Amino acid sequence: MFNLRDWGAGVWERSGRPVRVLIALGAIAAAASLPLLGGTFLNTPIADYGSVLVFPVAIFVIMALGLNIVIGKSGLLDLGYVAFFAIGAYTMGILGTKTGLNSWEILPIGIAMAMFAGLILGVPALRLRGDYLAIITLGFGEIVRITALNLNSIGGANGIVGIPTPPTIFGLEYTFDNHRLYFWTFLIIILLTIWMIRRLSVRRAGRAWESIRQDEDAAELMGVPTFRYKIWAFVLGASVGGAAGVLYASKTLFISPDNFTLQVSILILACVVFGGMGNIWGVVLGAIILGYLPDRIRFISDARLLVFGAVLVLMMNLRPDGLLPRKKREKALPEKGQS
Amino acid sequence: MSESILKLQNATMQFGGVVALNDVSFEIKKQEILGLIGPNGAGKTTVFNVITGVYQVTKGDITFEGKSLKGRKRYKITRGGVARTFQNIRLWGDMTALENVITATDTHKRSGLISGLFGLPISRREEKRDKARAQELLDFIGIGEYADRLAKNLPYGVQRRLEIARALGTEPKLLLLDEPAAGFNPAEKVELAKTIRKIRDAGYTVLLIEHDMSLVMGVSDRVVVIDFGQKIADDLPAKVQNDKRVIEAYLGVPEDAS
Amino acid sequence: MLSNFQDQFASLTVGGLSLGFIYVLIALGYTMVYGVLRMINFANSEVFMYGTFATIIVIRDLFGFTQQSEPATGFRLVYILFLCLIASMLMSGILSIFLELVAYRRLRNRGSNKLAPLISAIGMSIVLAEFMRILTDSRYVGSPRVMEKKSLGTFFGAELRLDNVIIIVAGLILFVSLSQFVQRTRLGKAIRAVSMNEDAAKLMGVNLNFVVSGTFLVGGLMTGAAGFFYVLKYENTSFNIGFELGIAAFTAAILGGIGNIKGAFYGGIALGLLETYASFFLGTQWKAVTVFIVLVFVLYFRPNGVFGEAITQTRA
Repeated sequence: MFNLRDWGAGVWERSGRPVRVLIALGAIAAAASLPLLGGTFLNTPIADYGSVLVFPVAIFVIMALGLNIVIGKSGLLDLGYVAFFAIGAYTMGILGTKTGLNSWEILPIGIAMAMFAGLILGVPALRLRGDYLAIITLGFGEIVRITALNLNSIGGANGIVGIPTPPTIFGLEYTFDNHRLYFWTFLIIILLTIWMIRRLSVRRAGRAWESIRQDEDAAELMGVPTFRYKIWAFVLGASVGGAAGVLYASKTLFISPDNFTLQVSILILACVVFGGMGNIWGVVLGAIILGYLPDRIRFISDARLLVFGAVLVLMMNLRPDGLLPRKKREKALPEKGQS
Repeated sequence: MSESILKLQNATMQFGGVVALNDVSFEIKKQEILGLIGPNGAGKTTVFNVITGVYQVTKGDITFEGKSLKGRKRYKITRGGVARTFQNIRLWGDMTALENVITATDTHKRSGLISGLFGLPISRREEKRDKARAQELLDFIGIGEYADRLAKNLPYGVQRRLEIARALGTEPKLLLLDEPAAGFNPAEKVELAKTIRKIRDAGYTVLLIEHDMSLVMGVSDRVVVIDFGQKIADDLPAKVQNDKRVIEAYLGVPEDAS
Repeated sequence: MLSNFQDQFASLTVGGLSLGFIYVLIALGYTMVYGVLRMINFANSEVFMYGTFATIIVIRDLFGFTQQSEPATGFRLVYILFLCLIASMLMSGILSIFLELVAYRRLRNRGSNKLAPLISAIGMSIVLAEFMRILTDSRYVGSPRVMEKKSLGTFFGAELRLDNVIIIVAGLILFVSLSQFVQRTRLGKAIRAVSMNEDAAKLMGVNLNFVVSGTFLVGGLMTGAAGFFYVLKYENTSFNIGFELGIAAFTAAILGGIGNIKGAFYGGIALGLLETYASFFLGTQWKAVTVFIVLVFVLYFRPNGVFGEAITQTRA
């Protein structure tokens, strides 16, 4: 079977540095021009196209990239990823409305808060395996949401309104409906995240996570400090989720506990698996499709989530490793059409 | 004889009511090849498991280079210089042979996430050095040509050897081999015996579990026999072969009605 | 507050027990599938939700009860309740088999990555819930009152409300029958054999697909019964109740040790009681949090649950 992932990797490997730079720049330019394509078939019939690109698409991509560190790289099933998103968003909401700090100053604080939460959750939870970890993380996600719902000091069920937009930089003004500017800002964050993950996963940490994912006991017995690496994966994943939360809150300017349900965790998980766990490009593609699709198919209005669920089932049955599966190819073998 | 590197002192391992190891004591000397044999279910793999920290002995102690291994984390035992292979091959199937070995060499790296993230020179240097070292080990074991193949696609015999190369990647002082010749044909066994001697000659100490008698007797300097979790012999191969209790353990005792 | 609690303790216990039995039955759905396939049957929550609707359909459409109708009494009541139970069990049992065929079988036989069945299950769960949402127009569906919830008297100061008593007694009967089924019958033994060692069971000539379908059927039947009890107790349902109850029941299964039938029993009862007591002190909005915090503690100190296998144990 034709494998797009291997084909792409092949092109990349065969080309020299200038060609690679060209490919990368081309890809970035293509991504950056997405908001300009509102007039084409890409347009979403009901919701505003530009706004769909920012949320859900760009935010989903960031979160899926973060969750991919946890699930795709190190094989830890986290069903409560939304908690870190919520923590980031609430940090932005609270600090943004109650202090004079702006979005860019709050961003690192939100990331730190999410990382700290990841640590608090990770230390007890990562002693457990597989399904137990899944349920603990799921519980954590719910605890965060319910806490936000019941604490009236942070808005309770009403949430937080009037979160400030990011300050103007280089004369660019972040007004509520300047979707393009938001999209380009988020694109930069996405590129930074991708850079970080790529950097980490080629070297030692990447191998350690990979060995943990494939056989944790063997990894531990080969001297890999598995617990420490699992915590790292968890905390890094949390940091990306936290960043996504801060950005989300500075875009929507209004957050409430309803934005942070388990469904969000599940959607992001679906993005990761649908696109191809462990492969950055697969995950990005999955998040773009699953973020964009429900709005594109709004014409079937009421049934769109139903169709979405059916697509997930079909997809898993036909291509369980996702659209762009992780590396399967062997370098030394001659290129053959084998899958 | 030179000094001992690993000592089991009255090691006892109980699982509920089952005694898997009962008061087992023996020691391994530096640069020795010690064979560990016994009938199926005698407790050989349990010995490996208590040494590598998979289980904690319920009584007794295990010391490595004079320090107790009790309560030490598994990865720290490996980092301290004890590495093992697995009876049922447990390679990381989706990594290449080379990556399997490099991951093990990571044990001794300094650079971590942060320096890796920023591509600091130390991380890049180490990366290069480890790659070379891993390839060297694959060549040493005689499977260098398979470096870039995924572990799961390798022939069975190569996988077994890769297990050894991976264990060597952690730069152990003591290498534990758990039935490395399982499923091998006679020619491969001869090759393996050579490899094991080569490993010893390179300065490693080897503890070998093996079912194939001619291999164990041929390659070991000394042989420890356990049966029903108890040590019943500890001697030179030639003497062990003629030990009455050992023969009984393997052939069964006719008058023993139980 | 505390003296108040002492006064109400007995009544709260009865209510908690009946909620507990609802959890026990749903937890059985999770735990049996987990025992055999080592997999979270995520869509079991929707199986439960469909069970609740089966009961409402019987009451409303088969017997024509409306909100204004007089509650039934005597033999007619017993007959109606019995039919509701059977309908809910059948609905859920059949749906559960169907679910396995559509969402899991292909993936299982292919032995692909571990998360694929989970995502497939999540997908099915969305499909089932959305389908019901569209059918019911996103509304809560109330059940006409078919039985008057009268008090049968008191027992050590506990008010014995009819619905709670029925749930506790019938739940106990169902649980005992299930244990007997697993212990005695051919299919039950095959299920146990597969949960202990799948490969060995296959070698011994167990037809795996048949056993898996059987497991889903039995798990679905129990979950469906819980659906009936839920409507009996709360007299309403909606397309999205599956989630909340499902998560709680899954927690219960883990609390007792997942994969273990007895564990589902103790876990379910413990959770039902705990949740009821906790709601009394903290208000119902915090009950989910209490439950999860208890779960974290249990898992931290007893990672195997109270009766289950060791999930953290190393094999080497």
